[in-house]
Amino acid sequence: MSKVLKIIPDNCTGCMRCEVACSYMQTGTYQPSKSVIRVSPFERHTSYSPYTCFQCEEAWCLSACPVEAITISPVGAKIVVENQCVGCKLCTIACPYGTIFYDVDTHKAFKCDLCGGSPACADACPTSAIQWVDEAVQDWQGDFAAERGNVHIIGLSSV
Amino acid sequence: MSRKRHVIVGGGTAGLNAITTIREYDKGASDIVLVAEEWPYSRMVLPYYLGQSISESHVFTATAPRLAQLGVQFIRADRPVDPILRALATQPQNESAGPLGPDFVRRRASGIDTANNLLKLDDGSSIEYDDLLIATGSSPTRPPIPGADGEGIYNQWTIDDSRGVLKNIKPGQDVAMIGAGFISFTILNSVLNHGVNLHIIEIMPQVLPRMIDNEGAEIVANLLRNRGVNIQTGVSVKSIEDVDGRKKLVMDGAADLTVDLVIMGTGIRPNLGWLNESGLEIDQGIIVDDHLRSNVANVYAAGDVAQGHELITRRKEVHAIEPTAMQHGRVVGANMTGRDISYEGSLLMNILDVQDLDVASFGSWNVPGAETSIMSNPKNNTYRKLVWDEDKIIGGIILGPARGIWTTNDIGMLKGLVQSQVRLGPWKKYLQENMWDIKRPFVANHVTNTMLSVTTLDHPTVPAREISATGASGGASDKDGEVVD
Repeated sequence: MSKVLKIIPDNCTGCMRCEVACSYMQTGTYQPSKSVIRVSPFERHTSYSPYTCFQCEEAWCLSACPVEAITISPVGAKIVVENQCVGCKLCTIACPYGTIFYDVDTHKAFKCDLCGGSPACADACPTSAIQWVDEAVQDWQGDFAAERGNVHIIGLSSV
Repeated sequence: MSRKRHVIVGGGTAGLNAITTIREYDKGASDIVLVAEEWPYSRMVLPYYLGQSISESHVFTATAPRLAQLGVQFIRADRPVDPILRALATQPQNESAGPLGPDFVRRRASGIDTANNLLKLDDGSSIEYDDLLIATGSSPTRPPIPGADGEGIYNQWTIDDSRGVLKNIKPGQDVAMIGAGFISFTILNSVLNHGVNLHIIEIMPQVLPRMIDNEGAEIVANLLRNRGVNIQTGVSVKSIEDVDGRKKLVMDGAADLTVDLVIMGTGIRPNLGWLNESGLEIDQGIIVDDHLRSNVANVYAAGDVAQGHELITRRKEVHAIEPTAMQHGRVVGANMTGRDISYEGSLLMNILDVQDLDVASFGSWNVPGAETSIMSNPKNNTYRKLVWDEDKIIGGIILGPARGIWTTNDIGMLKGLVQSQVRLGPWKKYLQENMWDIKRPFVANHVTNTMLSVTTLDHPTVPAREISATGASGGASDKDGEVVD
């Protein structure tokens, strides 16, 4: 079994260090807009969770690419080979998780590459909400978000 | 044990995906013959070649060394003939055909004889197959108007079309695009990058009539008008005349227009004419079952020529989109090696980047009478539409700036919601009232969990670039461990 990014939303404080660390590793800038892990609030702002590519087995992005610009790295990440990518965006509609990004400046797709095997987001997380572990990938956020749904779906938010 | 021979007609996305998938499973333990007109290339990336952001070599998806690595015998429509081989040839050859001169013969697929498992070529020869994939794609159609076949009028379909446009397009020219569908729009950015005055003419009342609804189309058209593009919808071209080296478009419903270059994007149709006598069941395309087999068990069809299941409607349709061709190809490749892969169906989907505006649609976005939710803000070029069947999203449209921080992610999550057909229960109302917030309903309804268990084949996807006919010459083992010589 290869390592995966395990997300434990209950540990997340919403500090955004993962986004900052990610953008620095990916682009050399401290720019959450370039981060490929994204933190979202749940139940108003009482709780948060990071969300990023699950490196799924089907690899929808990879098989959709018409120029084989997406491949699998030695650590199991589906990675965009930048000089092969033409920017056609087919991967962005193939991925059913919304974890492909598109850079309007370079006209290329980009996504989580697990930082080559040492994910900066997991290193940066001060509360171990993001862990780099040997485990089967799963829907880390589903139950967490469902539990925190009432405020949204039965209207307790009408303050 | 004799080697199985798979014959693939057509080297586009469907054909090539079938080939790599066959090799993924059999590692070279079969013969593959590819009959195609050109070296395999990707139509999807032609716009970037036309826009000169990539070189021509980038367009090709399989070079000669790559086909050799995959253990594929390639029969090309126009191929040079070795004079010695020609002297020795016993099969009849059609000397007169072929645009490239006497040293080339045309060898195109011209029919099939399903009783004898033969693919017939137009030089009179034939190839015996154990199973056959028909993946001959589609061709552009031109409107039946005088002058439509003249010089200086280009389709935007094949690599030769791109070469023609590239050779002739010059900054400052007036360029007319006739037809405002998806294909035309894939090259729109590239054409504008050449610094031309662009005129778009569409017979329907809106641009992109088969991809987005009227309200979304208005946003797209206005954005383009603001950038100086002349868009005329609900009008048609009566004839095209040559005037002083330029093209005069005689219009119905608008003033006549004289331009330097005309690009036709008036629709496509599957390349099926050569199968008239085949006995295959053909409607809009070749009718295929959930294994992508035709009514003849060892004849498969994939891509633009196949009429197979759509995921949401469950109707059999010709999709003519790249993702469907890719998935069809993979499923056929697996089944050709004896796997039993049944295919749920293809989700209709499209995405365009129109001058940094993302325009995407999925599934059944246009169902008369269906419940819809709409959020529209034309001032910011944003538009969202969801189409409901009870509490499931069966189709949707998203328009939003590519620079928008969530646009791409929301497009992907909408795809997940449509593809998974997850019931949203009470979250439906929430989403209807919070159309920006796709992520929360997506996550809370465990779309991730549903999608993580889905694979097209029966194992994790292997990158095509890692696949080769490794055992082709060395006595490969098949899955039963039997050595194949």
